[in-house]
Amino acid sequence: MDSKPPQPSASNPPPKPWERAGGSSGSAPFRPPSAGNTSDVVEASGTAKPGEIVSSSDRTAAVNRNSLGRPVPTRPWEQNYGNNSYGGGAYGSTMNNSLYGSGMYGSSSYGGGMYGGGMYGNSSMYRSGGYGGGLYGSSGMYGNSGMYGGGMYNSGFGGPMGGYGMGMGGPYGGQDPNDPYGPPSSPPGFWMSFLRVMHGVVNFFGRISILIDQNTQAFHMFMTALLQLFDRSGMLYGELARFVLRLLGIKTKPRKVLGPDGLPIPGAPHPHQSQNLIEGPKPAPDGAWDNVWPNGSQ
Amino acid sequence: MPVFKTPFNGYSVKFSPFYESRIAVATAQNFGILGNGRLHVLDLNPAGPISEHIAFDTADGVYDVSWSESHDSLLVAAIADGSVKLYDLALPPTSNPIRSFHEHTREVHSADYNPVRRDSFLTSSWDDTSKLWTLDRPTSVRTFKEHAYCVYSSVWNPRHGDVFASASGDCTVRIWDVREPGSTMIIPAHDFEVLSCDWNKYDDCCIATASVDKSIRVWDVRSYRTPVSVLNGHGYAVRKVKFSPHRQGLLASCSYDMTVCLWDYMLEDALVGRYDHHTEFAVGIDMSVLVEGLLASTGWDELVYVWQHGTDPRAP
Repeated sequence: MDSKPPQPSASNPPPKPWERAGGSSGSAPFRPPSAGNTSDVVEASGTAKPGEIVSSSDRTAAVNRNSLGRPVPTRPWEQNYGNNSYGGGAYGSTMNNSLYGSGMYGSSSYGGGMYGGGMYGNSSMYRSGGYGGGLYGSSGMYGNSGMYGGGMYNSGFGGPMGGYGMGMGGPYGGQDPNDPYGPPSSPPGFWMSFLRVMHGVVNFFGRISILIDQNTQAFHMFMTALLQLFDRSGMLYGELARFVLRLLGIKTKPRKVLGPDGLPIPGAPHPHQSQNLIEGPKPAPDGAWDNVWPNGSQ
Repeated sequence: MPVFKTPFNGYSVKFSPFYESRIAVATAQNFGILGNGRLHVLDLNPAGPISEHIAFDTADGVYDVSWSESHDSLLVAAIADGSVKLYDLALPPTSNPIRSFHEHTREVHSADYNPVRRDSFLTSSWDDTSKLWTLDRPTSVRTFKEHAYCVYSSVWNPRHGDVFASASGDCTVRIWDVREPGSTMIIPAHDFEVLSCDWNKYDDCCIATASVDKSIRVWDVRSYRTPVSVLNGHGYAVRKVKFSPHRQGLLASCSYDMTVCLWDYMLEDALVGRYDHHTEFAVGIDMSVLVEGLLASTGWDELVYVWQHGTDPRAP
């Protein structure tokens, strides 16, 4: 099976290095080893219990045998959502361990410490409310420390929208939200969830009313601007109308300016003789220059 | 030294006690949360890549594997569905596993073959128990239930065939004698979960524990009030710890900070070496019994590294 020729037989491994070395540090606190097969030794000692299957009730009883005198964390696979028992101080230090606890990544859960006591993990991940509600919600951990107060994560819209529900979660969680060893925040109580629901409702209708309000304002502004435009251009209405009529081929005749005697006023503009130009050439009188000089003088 | 890419995330690696070029690797799909598992047996070639000798598929993740000390082709696998399976490499994959024991009610997290008596092995499980099995019995011989939380590791004393230690998430390590009805010692080893423990091969009273508190502690079971040594240096929880089979003070550890560290707890400056070749959590480490200084590691980056201490694991 292997190319190494000096290997011992298939049922006898090479001697261990420490067996060759021999010796130990002195008297061990163990009873001297017994001879014989393991199963014989165990059965001879009267402690054998073949095929014992430890049920979960036995395991619960085992908690009482816990020599630590402190509560142990719930199992990573166990459902502890909504269970308030782990809010206490004794819980926090141990539960956080399980993030890196061997096997916590193992079969069913991603920790259950860091994201709020098992709410994140368990058999179905992303259990509703576990992630959002507990930690990044409007209150809970952030509300407590005051660091993130004032609608930083909450407002978004500004004005009347911000700040609902901030600081609701006062007495929950540790002092420092970034302390990985602090106790995880407790699950929200009834009033907390209720107020959070109310926050959602108010927020929803607030957004709707803001939409309506903004639309109304926009419409008002538009109409105002339109009317102002018409108003400003009101003085031009007459000219505008005349121009339009002219385009339609209808000539509006200006009235003659008559004097009191029915004759046109001299000096007044003469409508049908457009010779009243200021710079127009004047007709030269015939021979008018003939007598300027005496005859024969040229 | 060579690298082997597994299709699933690595969980454990063990050198064969019979052949210096053979290793077994336990892997699980999707980081062991959900999915299948596969048990690889790999052969190291002196010049060339690692080749796969055989692989067994399982219906759930494989968290740990242990070579039999009594037969060179026998493997014990700890499966995430609570079963313990025995594989025989000499048989074709269709006739494997040769045994499947279903007694644990939760994920089985470790398996360890008795190196002294060579006829029994231990498994530890998230159902808070450890179980003792022998090959000549159809069921487990004994169940050890005192821990109040998941038992992550049970390791035989390498010099005493009746004594083993178990590390649990209830922050204690318990020393057991299989002839005694209860545990003989309770060591409140850490303030956080204890993920792994191992015996010193040259001192049957010396034990090392690795914990979520990022530290490794070395204890003398005769005076377990204070640790003999505390090894700090990992940045996250220490997943496994393993004493060297060749040198008394040397131990290797792997951690969720993705590094593998070598320590000599008897030295003033205990950190002997640090390898950061893994790009994900390093969860499996072993030291060869037959070749001094040969290390193997695996992790969630789906890579198995085998290298000599002092060399770069990534070097081709």
